[in-house]
Amino acid sequence: MNAIEIRGLSKRFGSKQAVDGLHMTVPEGAIYGFIGEDGSGKSTTEKMICGLLHPTSGSISLYGKDHNDDEIRSHIGVLIEAPGCVPDCSVWNNMMIQAANLEIKDPEQEIAKVLKTVRMEGAASNKFKNCSLGMKQHIGIAMALLGNPRLLVLDEPINGLDADGMRIMREVLTDITKQGCTVLISSHILGELEKIATHYGIIRHGRMIREMTAEELEADCPTYIALRTGEGSKIKLLLKGRYGRVEEEEDGTIRIYDDVKPEDVVAWLYEKGVTVSEIWTAKIGLEEYYIDLMGGKKQ
Amino acid sequence: MSKSKRLNSMMQVDFRRMFTTSRLPIFLLIALMMPILILTMTTMVSGTEVANPQTGVVTTMEAFTNTWQIIGSESGAGMMAMDMTTMCNINLIFFMAGVFVCLFVADDFRSGYAKNLFTVRARKMDYVISKTVSGFFAGALMLIVFFFGAIIGGAAAGLPFTLGAAGVFSLIMCMIAKIFLMLVFVAIAVLVSCFGKNRSWLSILLFAFAGMLLFMMIPMMTPLNAGIMNVMMCLVGGALFAAGLGAGSNALLTRQDLI
Repeated sequence: MNAIEIRGLSKRFGSKQAVDGLHMTVPEGAIYGFIGEDGSGKSTTEKMICGLLHPTSGSISLYGKDHNDDEIRSHIGVLIEAPGCVPDCSVWNNMMIQAANLEIKDPEQEIAKVLKTVRMEGAASNKFKNCSLGMKQHIGIAMALLGNPRLLVLDEPINGLDADGMRIMREVLTDITKQGCTVLISSHILGELEKIATHYGIIRHGRMIREMTAEELEADCPTYIALRTGEGSKIKLLLKGRYGRVEEEEDGTIRIYDDVKPEDVVAWLYEKGVTVSEIWTAKIGLEEYYIDLMGGKKQ
Repeated sequence: MSKSKRLNSMMQVDFRRMFTTSRLPIFLLIALMMPILILTMTTMVSGTEVANPQTGVVTTMEAFTNTWQIIGSESGAGMMAMDMTTMCNINLIFFMAGVFVCLFVADDFRSGYAKNLFTVRARKMDYVISKTVSGFFAGALMLIVFFFGAIIGGAAAGLPFTLGAAGVFSLIMCMIAKIFLMLVFVAIAVLVSCFGKNRSWLSILLFAFAGMLLFMMIPMMTPLNAGIMNVMMCLVGGALFAAGLGAGSNALLTRQDLI
């Protein structure tokens, strides 16, 4: 069963078409990386999934039920934009409030558990308004985790986190998917997203332009040989005469996308009187793939 | 989960929020201080003659002659005579309670609490009922605190506590009628807040307009010599208003975008 199934979803704000006939499928148990430029419709889509915005047209089903179904909605954890906390209340009291909203039977134990999960047990007595941005994000995640949600909708949850915070977030999200939770996560930090996502959806101007699994992304991202010689453009022309796809980066690194061995490239260049100072093999990552897809530097 | 259990848990949240943040105590403190200041200060300036520098007309400052005047008037004429004693009295609490509800609801939308709530709770009626009940409770509390403030203020100002034709029973009926009438104003405040959402200024402005229209009925419905009939009328009126306006609030939240 799919956790989220969206068909022909549209949302219009006055004259602005924020989401335009979006189709999207998030399988159960997936960590779905939802990617797009600013204003592409990611947050609007997430808000519609959570029932905070009304779609102009189209349908959203969660676990086979309408997204406005009361029963299914009680199994959603959400962190959109900022955690919904009362600034003057302590972290603990804010958690108690959400626990009551979720009708959790043993709130103290559950809150202690989720705060421990995000390593925020020491912040329980702090007033929410006195917490740092990173702490607030962790608390927002903890709040979203209350009541063991089946679906977690996270909008830019790793913004404002330090390296350790990001690592904790990765661990938390990976752990909860092992317990059957599905995660829909949007982020601009694609390097981090790539480490955890099992599925991707790329949205542009409110339309889904690509949906794929991590395996499909892997297959779509070519391996290349990168080398540095200190001779820049001259070498590029030389290599172009021998290899099919050769590109030069801004820092002078040359990339060869053909299926060749590095030692063969080094030997051939040596014959031509060029000494290679560095050579390595690498793979295109999500970020480059995304930029390429969006018509960025690599057409 | 049954409706009563859902409502119960939501009201628990609202009451917890009311009592764990500083706003309600501040409003209660204002409700307590207001009659003390009004009664003592008006008594101090009572009888003072003030001349209008432009017209030269001399007016004598009038003040409360009895403590219970700040709770209600026996005739119930109220707003018909627009003087200090009919303007500065317990009826101001109806506006205060409305402002409290507007700020309370705006906080929900501003802080993101409403976002968290409506994500896990699809039914908006629970929210409307919970806000109406908690707002009503806060408003009733403010009325009661004002009442005790009036007693302190009356004693401090040396004003008599004689009830005249209206006995203690009528005074109690007057207070109970006012408490029930609070439901009307709270329901209006909830409705305009559901429209204004995080824009508390808009909610308060709309409430002021709507409240002003109904303000005149307060002294008429809840005179100092009130009886069972007044209480019943306020109870039925309050319940009808709360039900009707509650349905309106629910429709607003169901049809509008929530953030």
